[in-house]
Amino acid sequence: MVGLSLGEKHFIQGGIDQNLRSDGRKRDAYRPISIETGVIPQANGSARIRIGATEVIASVKAELGRPNALQPDKGKVAIFVDCSPVAEPMFEGRGGEELSTELSVALQRCLMGGKSGAGAGIDLSSLIVAEGKICWDLYIDGLVISSDGNLLDALGAAIKAALSNTGIPRVQVAAGASGDEQPEVDISDEEFLQFDTSGVPVIVTLTKVGRHYIVDATSEEESQMSSAVSVSISRKGHICGLSKRGSAGLDPSVISDMISVARHISEQLINKLDSEISAAEADEDEM
Amino acid sequence: MTSKGGAAPSTYTPAPPPTYKAQRPPFFTDSDADWTRSDGRGFHQCRSAFFRTGAVNSAAGSAYAEFGNTKVIVSVFGPRESKKAMMYSDKGRLNCNVSYTTFATTVHGQGSDNKEFSTMLHKALEGAVMLETFPKTTVDVFALVLESGGSDLPVVISCASLALADAGIMMYDLVAGVSVSCLGRNLIIDPILEEESFQDGSLMITCMPSHYEVTQLTITGEWSTANLNEAMQLCLDACSKLAKIMRSCLEEAASASKD
Repeated sequence: MVGLSLGEKHFIQGGIDQNLRSDGRKRDAYRPISIETGVIPQANGSARIRIGATEVIASVKAELGRPNALQPDKGKVAIFVDCSPVAEPMFEGRGGEELSTELSVALQRCLMGGKSGAGAGIDLSSLIVAEGKICWDLYIDGLVISSDGNLLDALGAAIKAALSNTGIPRVQVAAGASGDEQPEVDISDEEFLQFDTSGVPVIVTLTKVGRHYIVDATSEEESQMSSAVSVSISRKGHICGLSKRGSAGLDPSVISDMISVARHISEQLINKLDSEISAAEADEDEM
Repeated sequence: MTSKGGAAPSTYTPAPPPTYKAQRPPFFTDSDADWTRSDGRGFHQCRSAFFRTGAVNSAAGSAYAEFGNTKVIVSVFGPRESKKAMMYSDKGRLNCNVSYTTFATTVHGQGSDNKEFSTMLHKALEGAVMLETFPKTTVDVFALVLESGGSDLPVVISCASLALADAGIMMYDLVAGVSVSCLGRNLIIDPILEEESFQDGSLMITCMPSHYEVTQLTITGEWSTANLNEAMQLCLDACSKLAKIMRSCLEEAASASKD
């Protein structure tokens, strides 16, 4: 992926040891984040987020569907990530597939909570229109346009922004349909319901290089990592999901430490994202 | 499938899943402590584990594991030459695959998320295997879940590391996997299928006990710090106990072959 000479590797590692990374950041500093919402008119909600040179788009589409027979009181959410060859030639054909599934699975784990729905960022029961008959199916798609590390955090933030930008049409269910009949629905094209995104967690990835861990690693820094832990943290400070990448094992005490560092960082990140998202929404309204 | 037409009542699908709903409420009452697990275990008690190496003759190494109703077979082939299309690598490769038999679950052919399990198995093992000892080659790890009875992935991982050891692949340590479910306010170790189906959160740790190093860790659902730490400690303790059982299984096999 990233071809680095020995000197460059030492430079990156040495910089991280001294808390001064190649681009002048400290270990716990993010690159500048910018968010734009409502970038895809065909979708119910969308957002583009740029973190340094990493750029991703998330779109949310809502379609009416039938709830799962086992969970008649819940809607469905599907998360897919596409790594476009636009970002990197390696992603061409099936090359990006592995990364795509890894990201989708990690996002699903971070956003959808446990099997019973506890800790989910998206309240599935709010997606129900008529119990057992009609529900909203949310299709959340992430697209990687430019990849310079830290894709998971960027995708998580983009989905959060896209969801807060999402308006779901109000649906009138015609009364009178009885039994197994599928009731008739009337989808309003004027009235939209805002999506409650206060519970959507943020994802903080800590990348371990040498003895230290850094946030928001660039792909050059990622190539030097021994392992990385992605933690999704809700506003309340609860852990909603965690996944680990990288081959090297970690001492349990290091993991606990990483989780508490991630929690501390998440507080700043949530505030930062919230203000960026509301600024982006205000920009969009002005247009 | 031939017996489908003449299915006797005894071979018909066992207890249907809908009964879970009726069982759910007890977790949320104040009398949490009164609730007992359906197999009579304590909350922090694992199922009894059974391991046997050498389950498949034609494989370089294989192992069979049985935890309650979860039955898993893993075979290891290789090291063999990596495919020509692969780039040169001075490290060995692990090729992991997890599959379910069509009859592993109560619903026919429902053994889903295989692909996810395969990558998880790979991630859990790659930190433990000395890949540099077989450059340019690939080791295949094929896992088959014969019966899914809950905590499938941790069992697959533990069994796979045993199969690797049986195949003589060099490893830093055995990898033991244990999962914990969070149900209401309770932490339940080594959950069975029905407990997993209504869990609020789950945590899985795979670790190398003698190194005291975690190779893979996943968390779903909402966790507070206190719960998380308790669950991690539970898992780690269980892992080291599990590794002892695995080790004794290997020793048994080695002494049997000597005789």
